[in-house]
Amino acid sequence: MITAPTIEYFALAPLLIIFGAAIIGVLVEAFAPRYLRRAVHVPLTLLSLVGAFALVILQTVRGVPTTPAAMGSVAVDGPTLFIWGTILVLSFVSVLLINDEEQFVPSAAAVPGSAEEEKAITEGAAHTEVYPLALFAIGGMLLFPASNDLLIMFVALEVMSLPLYLLCGLARRRRLLSQEASVKYFLLGAFSSAFFLYGTALLYGFAGTVDLLGIRERLAVGGGGTETLLLVGTAMLGVGLLFKIGAAPFQAWKPDVYQGAPTPITALMASGTLVAAFGAVLRVFWVALGNDSWNWEPIMWGVAALTMVAGSILAITQTDIKRMLAYSSIAHAGFLLVGVMAVGERGQNALALSGLLFYLVTYGITTVGAFAIVTLVRDPGGEAWHLSRWAGLGKRSPKLAGLFAFFLLAFAGIPLTSGFFGKYAVFRSAVALGEAWLTGLVVLAVVASAAAAFFYVRVIVLMFFSDPSADGPTVVTPSWATSTVVGFSAFATVALGVFPQPVLDLAEKAAKSLFVQ
Amino acid sequence: MELYAPILVLAVLGAGFAVFSVSIAPFTGPKRWNRAKLDAYECGIDPTPQPIGGGRFPLKYMITAMLFIVFDIEIIFLYPWAVAFDKLGVFGLVEMVLFIVTVLVAYAYVWRRRGLDWD
Amino acid sequence: MSLLTTASVLASPAAPGSPGPGLADFGHDPVWISIIKGLVIFVFLLLGVLFGVWLERKLISRMQHRYGPNRAGKFGLLQTVADGLKMGLKEDLMPRKVDKVIFFLAPVIISVPAILAYSVIPMGPVVSMFGHKTPLQLTDMPVAVLFILAMSSIGVYGIVLAGWASKSPYAILGGLRSSAQVVSYEIAMGLSFVAVFLYAGTLSTSEIVAKQADGGTATLFGLDIPLPSWYAILLIPSFLIYVMTMFGEVNRVPFDLPEGEGELVAGYHTEYSSSLKFAMFQLAEYVNVFVVSGVAVTLFLGGWRAPWPISLWDGANVGWLPLLWFFAKIVLIFCFFVWVRASLPRVRYDQLMAFGWKVLIPLNLAWILLVATFRALRVEQSTPVFILMAIVVIGALAVFFRFDTVQQRRREARAEQIEEEFEQLREEPTAGGFPVPPLDLPHYHGANRKEVPSA
Repeated sequence: MITAPTIEYFALAPLLIIFGAAIIGVLVEAFAPRYLRRAVHVPLTLLSLVGAFALVILQTVRGVPTTPAAMGSVAVDGPTLFIWGTILVLSFVSVLLINDEEQFVPSAAAVPGSAEEEKAITEGAAHTEVYPLALFAIGGMLLFPASNDLLIMFVALEVMSLPLYLLCGLARRRRLLSQEASVKYFLLGAFSSAFFLYGTALLYGFAGTVDLLGIRERLAVGGGGTETLLLVGTAMLGVGLLFKIGAAPFQAWKPDVYQGAPTPITALMASGTLVAAFGAVLRVFWVALGNDSWNWEPIMWGVAALTMVAGSILAITQTDIKRMLAYSSIAHAGFLLVGVMAVGERGQNALALSGLLFYLVTYGITTVGAFAIVTLVRDPGGEAWHLSRWAGLGKRSPKLAGLFAFFLLAFAGIPLTSGFFGKYAVFRSAVALGEAWLTGLVVLAVVASAAAAFFYVRVIVLMFFSDPSADGPTVVTPSWATSTVVGFSAFATVALGVFPQPVLDLAEKAAKSLFVQ
Repeated sequence: MELYAPILVLAVLGAGFAVFSVSIAPFTGPKRWNRAKLDAYECGIDPTPQPIGGGRFPLKYMITAMLFIVFDIEIIFLYPWAVAFDKLGVFGLVEMVLFIVTVLVAYAYVWRRRGLDWD
Repeated sequence: MSLLTTASVLASPAAPGSPGPGLADFGHDPVWISIIKGLVIFVFLLLGVLFGVWLERKLISRMQHRYGPNRAGKFGLLQTVADGLKMGLKEDLMPRKVDKVIFFLAPVIISVPAILAYSVIPMGPVVSMFGHKTPLQLTDMPVAVLFILAMSSIGVYGIVLAGWASKSPYAILGGLRSSAQVVSYEIAMGLSFVAVFLYAGTLSTSEIVAKQADGGTATLFGLDIPLPSWYAILLIPSFLIYVMTMFGEVNRVPFDLPEGEGELVAGYHTEYSSSLKFAMFQLAEYVNVFVVSGVAVTLFLGGWRAPWPISLWDGANVGWLPLLWFFAKIVLIFCFFVWVRASLPRVRYDQLMAFGWKVLIPLNLAWILLVATFRALRVEQSTPVFILMAIVVIGALAVFFRFDTVQQRRREARAEQIEEEFEQLREEPTAGGFPVPPLDLPHYHGANRKEVPSA
């Protein structure tokens, strides 16, 4: 007998708003005349993000639901709401960056350098599709950490990734690099999605359900002869998820993609996607596989160690600013993974979760700011990426270089920046567990942070203590949007570094209820 | 399985007949060797030279073919929905309207961008 | 196994006097009954092909004021048999470049699924066969219609692979056209079934037939007037769309693009000369015609049940007699195929694609939603449904009008541009224009023509 399912529309409203706006965006693309499209898209996109954010706040105020919504497939709980808020803020500032002129190709289908491309440029064509695409990606990001069911999670993963694959290939300059990034991301992403799906199938074989809570219950019961399914399934699922956060040894795509993608999209990926994917990692490993932690923790330990070491060391060898930031993002993924293992009883979990949530906020905001500044330093052929071009920037435009240096210091985790408290919160929770193996990892993480600080400081030294070359890059006057983004990021980085308590409290409050279990 | 087994009878009969016909074809007819018979038939003119392995040919309806997959999946959703419709009632109707509208939005977009036009 | 149990839970066995066999009546046959039924279907299909080819040639000849085959046997009835024998005795050509394995397999791939699809077409009620009660249908399943669709989709592989394996331009073009055709009509075809499933609430063919047994009666002035029960009448848009798409499904005129003989010699089977391999293609084509006719009969035309005036007679739908109604319906649809072939020209295939994608699909979806709304209103009266439908309808209309104006403007612009080009070319024949002689030359009308006397 079939009974009609029920759906909690209010709990899902932020998601529905974003997806609805994206669909309206497609309609705008289809029916609005070309000259009007942008004028409709920008307010539509920004308003939907603001609206979703307002709904998230409303829900938080009204009280967090304690049961999963939509027949148990989407869990809107405390951490989810916090992650949603974070993603929406980060997306908002990223969309402001996307909105800037001259970031996207006029006609993506034209062969780079061909007459067709020339024609598209002179005609003033533009792919205003980036707005609905970005909204779809953001919608996927919202659903990804909230899904309480491996199949929904897979759908969210695809909804998040597919628009991003496309967006990566739309950079206006260095077309070939951009297309390469897009193809690489697509192929590797499809590969990792396949891993995820296969893992889902195997876990289904183990537990007889794809529901995260169901898998948890099955693990709690224990016994049975399907241990192999569980282990292989966990490994495959882990590959799919760790790929998305760019943990080693699945980090290879990150530098290439971050470099080739249009910088605003890189900002969106580096902030929003990381937050979303981390939320999903936490949900899968804590909720579904929480009763199996002694099985995955050793592997996770290795992955975390490898990730932070590889990220920090490889970043030192980079000569490209975007690639360097990509490796820095890999290293940060490693630091975050430390917190994933800091699970114990309830209070400990809440501590670790709040630390991770806070870290995600601080890292995301700082990243967007750093990439926003990258868009401003330009050569005749586009943004100046090579580190040698940044030499002496501090003497030519001290304000910009100063802000960038500040963001880099925040990445390094210097006190009085938000990065310091982020790292502190995560490492503290790991130490609080009181296990020697995890404390060892924290020590390793601190060492890696120091190594990472080296290459951040190197850039600062390059900017302020070398002579500017005669034909150095120009620093364009930022538009109001970019100034807002940089200003917001700088302000948030300072504020969270000096007075982190309100956000820490918020994260703690969100973490206290833990994931719906 | 009892419902599906009888299909095997027809499958064996059909496959047997087809394979038999195809394999005896070379033996029942005469064989008169002629160079022209070994070439592709192109109404008597010399065959178009073809690269080894068949080469590549343009598919002008590539986008349409990809859309086809989307709509095929839509149909796969529609069938169980239609069968269970009376039990789902208004909820089923509302959800399916939303679903179809969503697909139609993409469809309208493709139409407007001439994805359905020839070439 | 689980499918079977759900099936038997869903359906109860047919009681005497019930509309007909349901899912629960299947799966009880001993093996020998299945073999007999399978053999009969197979022989029926082979004989049907022989008869069908003859009937088609005969009918189309009469429509073209010819006699058609009339030498072999009475009325030329044995003509097809003779043709079949001839095919067996023809030289089997195999060009050098073909992909041998696929070249061999393609005729098999196309003909086997065509035959298989017939296993779920119901041909009659439960009868007694050698003392064993069994329905006149090889088998049925909860997803029978899906099975038919799957089989017809696999059949297309045969065509595409035949074209590809031949490594000859005409054949490849035929194969490609065939896949282009599939992506154009199959969606419309699949959608045209949805309304039927909405009404029938099942995918099992025998139960769909049973659902069409009785449309209820309306009482008017004390008279019981039977209401139509065939889905062809209740769901006439679905039926019309299916009729259109079924020509595409079997590559018949007006959608016989994959083998359009005026353009592609013989399309995908150009390289199969005229041996027994070609005979397989011929066989598959006709069997496919029977399959789509069978589907049309089962889903829309009341299946094996007698048509209306006859159905008033109680004995019309029992025993072996319904076989007659079934075959009569099939033959009539086949004649319709021939009639269409004699009347309509072949469409161009961008026209076919545009027709499938831009006309049939939106129409079909709108129709499905309409049917679903009526169904939902019958289940429960609620205002949200009305409001929702009003919003959807208004939105759809708004979008359509915007669409229409844009399309119209585009069309006009394009027509204008073509007109302009034409104008220009006409005026300057030297600039690559059409060599149109000036209209005032003396030998055109208006000039006096002088008769030259002969010698």
